[in-house]
Amino acid sequence: MSVASVPFSLGRLGLIAGNTFLEAVRQKLFLFLLLLAIGLVASALFFREFNFGSSELKFIADFGFGALIFFGSALTIATTAQLFFSEIENRTALTLLAKPLWRAEFVFGKFLGVFAVIGVFCALTIGLMMALLYHREGQLMAQTPEAFEAGRLISYGDLLVVGLLQWLKFGVLTAIVLLIASFSNTNLFTVVTGFFVLVICHLQYLARDAWGNVDNALIGLVVQAMSLIFPNFQLFNLADEIGQGSGVDGDVALRVAGYGLAYIAVIGGLAVYSFRNREI
Amino acid sequence: MRTGLVVVLGLIAAGIALRPLEGPAWEKIQAKQPQLRLESLKDALGQGVTVGLLGGFRAIVADLFWIRTNAVWEENDLPGTQTSIKLVTAIDPRPLYFWLNGSRMIAYDMPNWRIDKAGGYDVVPEAVKRRFDEEQSKVAVNYLNNGLDFHPDNPLLVLEIANVYLNRLKDVETAAKFYRQASEHPDAPYYAARIYAELLRRLERREEAYAFLTKLHPTLPPDNMMAQAVVVLDRIRELEDELNVPAVKRYRDPNGTPTPPPRMPGLDVDVSDLLPAPVAP
Repeated sequence: MSVASVPFSLGRLGLIAGNTFLEAVRQKLFLFLLLLAIGLVASALFFREFNFGSSELKFIADFGFGALIFFGSALTIATTAQLFFSEIENRTALTLLAKPLWRAEFVFGKFLGVFAVIGVFCALTIGLMMALLYHREGQLMAQTPEAFEAGRLISYGDLLVVGLLQWLKFGVLTAIVLLIASFSNTNLFTVVTGFFVLVICHLQYLARDAWGNVDNALIGLVVQAMSLIFPNFQLFNLADEIGQGSGVDGDVALRVAGYGLAYIAVIGGLAVYSFRNREI
Repeated sequence: MRTGLVVVLGLIAAGIALRPLEGPAWEKIQAKQPQLRLESLKDALGQGVTVGLLGGFRAIVADLFWIRTNAVWEENDLPGTQTSIKLVTAIDPRPLYFWLNGSRMIAYDMPNWRIDKAGGYDVVPEAVKRRFDEEQSKVAVNYLNNGLDFHPDNPLLVLEIANVYLNRLKDVETAAKFYRQASEHPDAPYYAARIYAELLRRLERREEAYAFLTKLHPTLPPDNMMAQAVVVLDRIRELEDELNVPAVKRYRDPNGTPTPPPRMPGLDVDVSDLLPAPVAP
């Protein structure tokens, strides 16, 4: 039976996603990075001694998001590449794709499996950070009640929104790594390229700002193309607004979420297209 | 090759299609976070600032660079300290602490380092010392003005600019202008207005100082120690004496403190001392 004769199945996609999720959580890398992130978030109370500028609660929130972003990015890139190439290297991809299975089901199944793992990572890290902030804020409220006359300073709803947006950003990153893996021959190449793309996506806004100042038309065109090719990851960086008095703007959060979901669909689709043209 | 081209074109098309969704959100984010602008980073790019820009650990990276700044500062390394100060605020421009202390290092310490390097206080001519002061003060004021891009509603940076003009450049006129600007802010510390009035007195603009203080005094909460309403009232009285304000035109304290009669010119006694004592009923 050929792929063309069977309709696209969410059930098969779910099976691949579930299998990918189980494989991922069994990996030592996942546990290692999860423990590191949790350890770092928990140690924020000790690191606050280094803090010179921001308020203590803001510092703890920054530190927690720092751990989430740093280890979350490492986990996303490494896990996606490893799980994709383990199927290729162990030849299980050959067995799977010989069956009536769409390559789109395979790619999006992998995506959803990794996305779920990253979701668990984000939930645990954010949950711990919120608990830590709540505990410390409670202590500070007891020590200096006059500073909290208007109630709690930290908006825990905003923390959740920023956590969700970070998860979406990791989703876009997962799709990007899958796209790279769809044409790459080695795990190492995928991981290294994935990290470079991560840095470019975080800094692409600088290229966009610089575009207006470039005199050479050709270079200007290249810079503009770069800013269009790579998604803007700084857009997801709303954590700075937490504890600054203004809070997260709902309209901005919705737009960013839409932007992330659209990019996941587009880059995922391109990964499927690229993977369909690949000889396994 | 064809696959690669399709992928690149697909990404460009997605970038163009999503711009209307991204643009307004990005504008709002940039407006709230001026550090996400190229001009905010041009002094610091390529010096490890990427670590901070990647979104995580901004606060801790800036704190660690601040420790490094202090280490370089202890060695009186002018270019190193100046670069390091700018790097810290490029990574994390949110804490005022960095802006205030960085500008103090630039304005107050660095001229001394330059004088030492040029041979010491006894050797360097006054004109050269003055030039060092002016150059470093200019750098500090520019730095504080950059800080105002990130903290436009904060009067402490304006006060720091005023302090540089007053304490380092001895430019009372410009300092007064900035103290006034700071005092007009709703969150300004009370002393900003008091210093402004004192500087007006120093500039021999007593009428202006008197008019300013008489407008200021009724706005001061009498029970707030920081507001120093009593001190302000004392200064109003001093100015009334200096300006020979007639008794009927003297400022009346809304809190009920009796208006003292004018002092006799040339005598260091109150006119009331010369009046006959009230007759007991």
